Amino acid sequence: MSMLTVENLTHIYGEHTPFEKSAVHDISFQAEKGEIIGVIGHTGSGKSTLVQHFNGLLKPNSGRILLDGEDIWANPKEIRKIRFKIGLVFQYPEYQLFEDTVFEDIAFGPKNMGLDEAEIKERVLKTAKMLGIRDELLEKSPFDLSGGEKRRVAIAGVMAMMPKVIVFDEPTAGLDPAGRDLVLEKIKEYRDLTGALVFIVSHSMEDMAKTADRLLVMNKGELFMFDKPENVFKESRVLEEIGLSVPQITRVFCRLHDSGINVPDDIYTVESAIAAISPLLKKGGTANG
Amino acid sequence: MVRDVTFGQYFPAKSIIHKIDPRLKLLLLISFIVFIFVCGNAFSLALMGAFTVALVVMSRVPIRLFLKSIKAIIIVIILTSILNALYVDTGRVVFEVWIIKITTGGIARAAFMSSRILILILASSLLTYTTTPTALTDAIERLLKPLRFIGLGEAVHVMAMMITIALRFIPTLIEETDKIMSAQKARGADMDSGSLLHRVKALIPILIPLLISSVRRAYDLADAMECRCYTGGAGRKRMKQLHLVAHDYVSLLVCIICFAGVIGLNILF
Amino acid sequence: MDNIIEISDLTFEYTDNDNSETVLNGLNLSVERGSFTVILGHNGSGKSTLAKLVTGLLKPASGEIMVDGMSTLSEEHENEIHRRVGLVFQNPDNQIVATIVEEDVAFGPENLGIEPAEIRKRVDDALKAVDMYDYREHAPHKLSGGQKQRIAIAGIIAMEPECIVLDEPTAMLDPRGRKEVIDTIYRLNKEKGITILLITHYMEEAENADRIIVMDKGEIVADGAPKEVFADVKTIKSVGLDVPQTTELLYLLKQNGIDAKDGIISISECEKELKRILSEV
Repeated sequence: MSMLTVENLTHIYGEHTPFEKSAVHDISFQAEKGEIIGVIGHTGSGKSTLVQHFNGLLKPNSGRILLDGEDIWANPKEIRKIRFKIGLVFQYPEYQLFEDTVFEDIAFGPKNMGLDEAEIKERVLKTAKMLGIRDELLEKSPFDLSGGEKRRVAIAGVMAMMPKVIVFDEPTAGLDPAGRDLVLEKIKEYRDLTGALVFIVSHSMEDMAKTADRLLVMNKGELFMFDKPENVFKESRVLEEIGLSVPQITRVFCRLHDSGINVPDDIYTVESAIAAISPLLKKGGTANG
Repeated sequence: MVRDVTFGQYFPAKSIIHKIDPRLKLLLLISFIVFIFVCGNAFSLALMGAFTVALVVMSRVPIRLFLKSIKAIIIVIILTSILNALYVDTGRVVFEVWIIKITTGGIARAAFMSSRILILILASSLLTYTTTPTALTDAIERLLKPLRFIGLGEAVHVMAMMITIALRFIPTLIEETDKIMSAQKARGADMDSGSLLHRVKALIPILIPLLISSVRRAYDLADAMECRCYTGGAGRKRMKQLHLVAHDYVSLLVCIICFAGVIGLNILF
Repeated sequence: MDNIIEISDLTFEYTDNDNSETVLNGLNLSVERGSFTVILGHNGSGKSTLAKLVTGLLKPASGEIMVDGMSTLSEEHENEIHRRVGLVFQNPDNQIVATIVEEDVAFGPENLGIEPAEIRKRVDDALKAVDMYDYREHAPHKLSGGQKQRIAIAGIIAMEPECIVLDEPTAMLDPRGRKEVIDTIYRLNKEKGITILLITHYMEEAENADRIIVMDKGEIVADGAPKEVFADVKTIKSVGLDVPQTTELLYLLKQNGIDAKDGIISISECEKELKRILSEV
């Protein structure tokens, strides 16, 4: 049984009004425990609408979302409990910090779950440590931290709820390269530690190439592709047609491939590029035409 | 779209009423209201009513929107009617039970008073449906310009600037509130159940981030305005100058004729 | 050489209560009129502070900034410096004042007390220059991030500035919006000769610049043409920045003893270089 199953999910904004607009249409897929899935598509492709269904912030007009085989809307009154199992970290999550101290802010989610003091404390400390939030920061006001630190505190606030499925909407937006790498690394660490299923919504093909196990490509509210990165990036021409860029290195290798040089056209990281080109350099055999 | 409050009640359409200079429209509305109370008898009020209905039709704003504004004050109309019907004791008695006595004079009075309110509401809705809040703010600023002679020029400008900025940022802040609410819900915040105290407390995780972000926006905006050479109202020239044109004068003339009619009917009957 | 901005021995520190933090320390820098300069640095490297200092929003603690021959310290020139050096902020929402696009663009010229007919002309020209003329009567909050940033740029162009400073203008935008904004400022630099000072941490945006300055801890650690700066992958990585995949690939090949050219950024140049290397094996 898959961890998360989405069945024929359709969401229409403003149904039965003149402004009726289908935001996502007939989406079906299955995602497994421990996977990192990159959700890509340009603005307005429906990717944010899609992920807000996972934890019941939006209710589908038709279709179902199953967590471990159970419909999350089976009991609408209990939807709040679903949010403890399926976490969602919004874009620029640091803008939702509000408590007096970093500790209290991370504890907000666990408190809402109704955990006891000791358990809350343990979770906060553990999560803070995992995200590299130093102990002396815990008693500080979250508003005194640097941008990157605030971002990690906000992420810790959701991670401390220990959700089985966790969704990140543009977790690296506005961060510099060092901050970005750190956040992506911490997301991977959480997955390794808990075996959670992770979704990352992102505009950066390079980041997703480095991080994701599978890519879910949205276009005009529909599921356009759902496959391993190498298979998705192989279709670079199709991706560019729907207005998505592919990693730079993929484009270079596609061009080399197209001009008859014997290199694969599914390269998407610098490491794999080196690996693909090194043999050609050693043997000295090229098929340059 | 439901939440699009920047344009308030404004309904975009191409009509002569939309085109009238906002300053003139505002002044005409004020004189209109005065004349509603000048109307001394049913004939002059009927003229005002007919004129208003004609304007409503000309505005090309859907009638249901006007009905909506009437609906909002229907209680006031009913209450006024009942009170007038009860208090006025002239003419033939139509209905009498216990201490309640309704007379023809009372009914006439009730009809007269509620018609007044109705016309008042229609006329003011006409202004808000056909004029954007920005244009209205602008009109108020320009109409109050003479106040500079008593040293209030900058105060008028600051008020107008504040309203403009508020109108500009309301949609942004509503969007932000939605986002923060969703984010806190995702962290398990419970906003829909519990006692009143609990619900008020549940607002804190929304209000604090909203306040902090508004302060940040305010600082940014102040910097941006300074960078764009803003130093207050003095020395500022507006791109859009308002000039009265032919259709403004025609509108003015039509209104004056109507007002003259009201006075005439008042004297005649 | 004709410099629009001359910075000498600039020091700046933020003080709150008992703490003071030095953000810039003895900075010297001049920017040539009409050039396109990119300032790269990680968050907290002092680059945003520099933007506010150059536009006169902040005053130096010591040292001096001359803009077109006027010191940012002199109060009588304050407004003229604001007019000549415009600033575009990171958050597109926080710099738009009016509820209608064209009225927002008119805000700057209105403050300058220009005649209404001239304002109208400047507003129309500025909106055309950023390709937003068709949106002149729209409400700004309904536009995309890239469109909002272009409106902000138009608002500055309408004041006919000498120089535009952009403080991470694309950080909050999607790839499409980012491209719209970057294409627009390169075009303004080329066609109108406006000096551009672009602050960013996206390397790709620096590809076609005249000059790149890399900042770290309030100091300049690299300064030169894009090819020179990008050739020094080690320095760039050491200050917490990243290089494009293309640059990194050729850099790594060179590290492995292959004769690859330095500082290549664009996809087509990388393709050409790889073909050359392969054909010479």
